[in-house]
Amino acid sequence: MGTFNKSSSTPVLLRHETILLGVLVAEWIFFDACGRNFGTYDNLCDLLRHSCEIGLLALAMTPVILTGGIDLSVGSLLGLCAIVFGKCWRDAGMPIPLAAACTLGVGALAGGLNAALIAWLRLPPLIVTLGTFSLFRGLAEAITHGVDTFTNFPASFLFLGQERWLGVPAQAPIFAAAMIFFWLLVHRTTFGRSFRALGFSPEGARYAGLPVARRVALVYVLAGVVAALAALIYTARLGQAKADAGTGYELFAITAVVLGGTSIFGGVGSVHGTLLGVAAIAVLHSGIAHALLPGELAGMLTGVLLILALAGASLAKQISGLRARKAARNMQQQTA
Amino acid sequence: MNYLIPKTAALWLAAGLAALTGCHQPAKSAADSANPPGGAKQLTIAFLPKSKGNAYFVSCAKGAQRAANELGAHLIFDGPTDPDPARQNEIVENWITLGVDAIAAACENKEGISTALRKAQAKGIKVITYDADALPDARSFFVNQATPQGIGDALMDEAARLCASNGAFAVITGSLTAENQTEWQKYVEARRAAAYPNMKCVAVEACDDLKDKAQSETTALLSTYPDLKLVLSTTSLGVPGAAEAIKQAGKTGVVKNLGLGLPNENKRYVHEGVTQGVILWKTEDLGYLAIYAADALAKGTLKPGDQKFPAGALGQFEIQGDNIMLGKPFTFNQDNIDQFDF
Repeated sequence: MGTFNKSSSTPVLLRHETILLGVLVAEWIFFDACGRNFGTYDNLCDLLRHSCEIGLLALAMTPVILTGGIDLSVGSLLGLCAIVFGKCWRDAGMPIPLAAACTLGVGALAGGLNAALIAWLRLPPLIVTLGTFSLFRGLAEAITHGVDTFTNFPASFLFLGQERWLGVPAQAPIFAAAMIFFWLLVHRTTFGRSFRALGFSPEGARYAGLPVARRVALVYVLAGVVAALAALIYTARLGQAKADAGTGYELFAITAVVLGGTSIFGGVGSVHGTLLGVAAIAVLHSGIAHALLPGELAGMLTGVLLILALAGASLAKQISGLRARKAARNMQQQTA
Repeated sequence: MNYLIPKTAALWLAAGLAALTGCHQPAKSAADSANPPGGAKQLTIAFLPKSKGNAYFVSCAKGAQRAANELGAHLIFDGPTDPDPARQNEIVENWITLGVDAIAAACENKEGISTALRKAQAKGIKVITYDADALPDARSFFVNQATPQGIGDALMDEAARLCASNGAFAVITGSLTAENQTEWQKYVEARRAAAYPNMKCVAVEACDDLKDKAQSETTALLSTYPDLKLVLSTTSLGVPGAAEAIKQAGKTGVVKNLGLGLPNENKRYVHEGVTQGVILWKTEDLGYLAIYAADALAKGTLKPGDQKFPAGALGQFEIQGDNIMLGKPFTFNQDNIDQFDF
């Protein structure tokens, strides 16, 4: 039992992230063998472009779930922000950078609304964000009457979603920056530790003198800003902003986070786990398309993957717990 | 819908088998047989519906598959199964890396999908659209299932035939502001004025695309105009709504019912003799023509500027500009409606 790690009592090989990495590699090898043009650089770039928005949402969802919360409103907020961006640019005549800044501001405000209701009024996150899930999408539909579509964005903006910059998709550097930001936030700052503490025991965290309300508020505001950022990239990728943008994305993001090993009850989880979760789902979707298998299979296999990964991780934990108990018993017998 | 279930089950079985047998995929075989000895290159044509589970598009795909079999092409049929508007783009982008030869697409989001289709064209993939067009610079041809004039003429001609070119009729429209419905209504009126001066349109009512409202509007029309001979709907929800009103008023067969619609939602009323005709186009022919056009475009036999296009068993089709015309709408009635399932 010499492989104790400061963050986990499970041996490295049995840890959730390691198992998930194995699954990802297996997926890759399988689809590379039986898919047409799957393992090409072009497809790798497409994979990144297609999973960028959901990846961003999943990154921001990780600290939310770590605190024991949930944010169901991010997909709807993506839709609302796309509309706000289109409105600012086309109808208010703002230049693109200003419109983008306004959109990020609206994202922060919307996240702030969630934060205020959850952190200060102490309403359950599930209920609050279920409400804003409808509210944000409803607002987007009301602004556009459900039919108005914003399009004909300048090529310099579409570049962000469709072109390559220094050989990588233009959105890749943004995603990388968000990835580094969230990894440092969760794993290398006192904020990250306080998120876990909150997830383990909110009352304990409060007694320990943590500014609970402020920390909780922070994760929801960040989720709002990231949803706005995802809306900009989404709009650039599709070349259109419509009220139905990002429909269902909140569930994809939550699936990726949970697949990545973050406990839905909070307290346990990692940003790199989330990234592996996003990648495992994205590779599955793309692989199925490239192997010319029916697309419905992707949804089903994602479900199977999620259940297997969680069951596997739970089993691994029980096995290592059993071993530890056995070792302890042996020790007792020896001393007796 | 009932035949969909075994079909889906078969699809799953095939998928499961493919996974079990180490994915003995059609993809590789398509690539391997790219240059069979002594034969032409087998083309891979991708067929994109607006949504995959929609019976309308399942029916289009049936025609598409028949065309692909005749042409010896490999057909890929895939489309969104969830309401995410970005899915069509992702599917097309996957086809680009797959390296298909041609794409035939029905577009859910005109502007959005055009981005991906332009990218496909830039990679040398031939693109045609059917059912719902993309922006003109994102495809070579649009297979046009019906023009507003074609629809207006077909509706009015059938109405006149049912009324022996004489008498009063009323129109149920979806809304008074919907662009396409206003357009069809205009052509109905133009055709009436030109060819059937003894027929008279006494009212145009909007049903807000609700079946219930179509029913209540028709009930009101029946009592206001006792000599009404026909109700004509320019919205698919108007036909069953009007049928229910006519049936409940006990005027089955006395007041005729006609309109645009899908066979399945009108079959019952057609067999009861309440509804005399439902007008649309043959969806299987639409899919068939789309695949023939995609194939010819990829082989270079269909070029911009062509006036005519021959599509296998269906014969010659007219090309107007960059629109390949499917031709006159089709009338589903008691004699033929059971042959269609969408």
